[in-house]
Amino acid sequence: MSDPSVSGVPVVRAESLTKRFGSVVAVDDLSFALAPGTITGFLGPNGAGKTTTLRMVLGLAAPSRGRALVFDMLYADLPQAALRVGAVLEATDFHPGRSGRDHLRTLSRAALLPDSRVDEVLTLVELSDAARRRVKGYSLGMRQRLGLAAALLGDPELLVLDEPANGLDPEGVRWLRDFLRDFARKGRTVLISSHVLAEVAQTVDQVLIINRGKLVVESSLEQLTARVGGSVRVRSPEVSRLQEALSRAQIATSPSNEHALLVHGTTSDRVGDIAFAARIPIHELASEASSLEDVFLELTSEPVR
Amino acid sequence: MSGQIEAELLKIRSTRTTIGLALGMIALIVLFALLSGLLTKAPHLMSSQDQLGLLSVGSFSGVFSALAGIMLITSEYRYGTIRPTFLVSPRRSRVLAAKLAAGLLAGLAFGVVGQALGTGIGITILDARGITYAPGAGATALLLGGTLAASALWGAIGVGLGAILRNQVGAIIALLAWGFVVENLLFAFVPSVGRFAPVHAQNGLFGLTTKHLLSPAAGAATLIAWTAALAAVGIALAARRDVS
Repeated sequence: MSDPSVSGVPVVRAESLTKRFGSVVAVDDLSFALAPGTITGFLGPNGAGKTTTLRMVLGLAAPSRGRALVFDMLYADLPQAALRVGAVLEATDFHPGRSGRDHLRTLSRAALLPDSRVDEVLTLVELSDAARRRVKGYSLGMRQRLGLAAALLGDPELLVLDEPANGLDPEGVRWLRDFLRDFARKGRTVLISSHVLAEVAQTVDQVLIINRGKLVVESSLEQLTARVGGSVRVRSPEVSRLQEALSRAQIATSPSNEHALLVHGTTSDRVGDIAFAARIPIHELASEASSLEDVFLELTSEPVR
Repeated sequence: MSGQIEAELLKIRSTRTTIGLALGMIALIVLFALLSGLLTKAPHLMSSQDQLGLLSVGSFSGVFSALAGIMLITSEYRYGTIRPTFLVSPRRSRVLAAKLAAGLLAGLAFGVVGQALGTGIGITILDARGITYAPGAGATALLLGGTLAASALWGAIGVGLGAILRNQVGAIIALLAWGFVVENLLFAFVPSVGRFAPVHAQNGLFGLTTKHLLSPAAGAATLIAWTAALAAVGIALAARRDVS
């Protein structure tokens, strides 16, 4: 995804994006690019600099160094920004005394969109019934959907969501996942941040993982999965012969202890078959409980500030 | 740009804040007009200046216009709606210009209501007490027109002050402390400076002839200059500062 020549101009391109707050470097020399039609998970623990990065991409905060381009332009220079980009940064950005519909109407007026579009997006997020009630009576899930409705007003090509699953019930999470899948299928692009990989693992194509403001991993979800996938612990009285047999099959291993190996990038079935073929006795064979989440935690486990 | 102004006017109309401010203004002006109209002894209500002073109770609309202007921008920061606002309209100076225009219009509306009440009650009381209305047409027109103009300008001043301070409570306290305390002290002790402060510039604009006040033209120019300065600083800061 970092090769823009594959698919033309990247939808978002960050170039050495850096943000300092006094002596604290919140975002540190971050570069990445998003290709059209992709769903990217922007991941990292709380305080890693995700929201600050999104604010710089969306023109709400000025970078200390570097720049972020959206459709090859600074966000502030985008003509009719609402028709290109929709974003939800906080689930609570509403005046409590204003109705959901009026909130959307204030935005649609500024974007020169008709009231009929307001009613369309209210239907889309299934909020029509509550639209004329004051937001103070909305549940968190309803506020999330109202925020999404606001982002969708201009039928944008890029959707940026900061921690959208916070406060959503499981049904809402699934609704959002289906919605985003459908959105990306139309060739549109999604950037979605989260501090929990599992929350977005079923939704995203690729991940950007940052920790302490720095990019730690930029890869497709498959690559990340392969990196974890099928770590197998195998115990045998003939560890060295087993290691040879596995390396002949081009399978990487690392010693676990005197009588055991950790086997990477394969399944316990395959390890068992290879051992059987080589007539090596096996005393124990187990898939390690390592998961995407473990890798994510390992990559980001340094204490944050 | 007209869409932007429409958006700001809708923000003013779509919460109960504005109606609350309007009701507060009406209550205050009716109370003050009745109290000073009914309790002031007749000899102190004979001169043109005394009667203009009574009618100028309507100019309390300026305080409420400024509060409406403050709310228009600070509630966006308070409730976070500034984020969607700037996401939809990333050219922040245009957003601020639209808010200033909306503040002027809202201020004008407050001025119309306030001055209609102040003038209506004042003249009715004078009439009921058998006191002849003394001010000439020119002086009356100056007070009425001045109140409308000043009230509109206060709306924009509120937007400018709110854009500078961003904090809602802070901006309200700053406005009230300045308007009701600091300026009065300044005018009392250093009138040559105090007369250039906004509330006293406004009083000059109304044609009130309290000693040291500016002439109506100079008062108008001074109040416009205050508005323009606060608006310019507010726009510059809103365009530069990060939105959290």
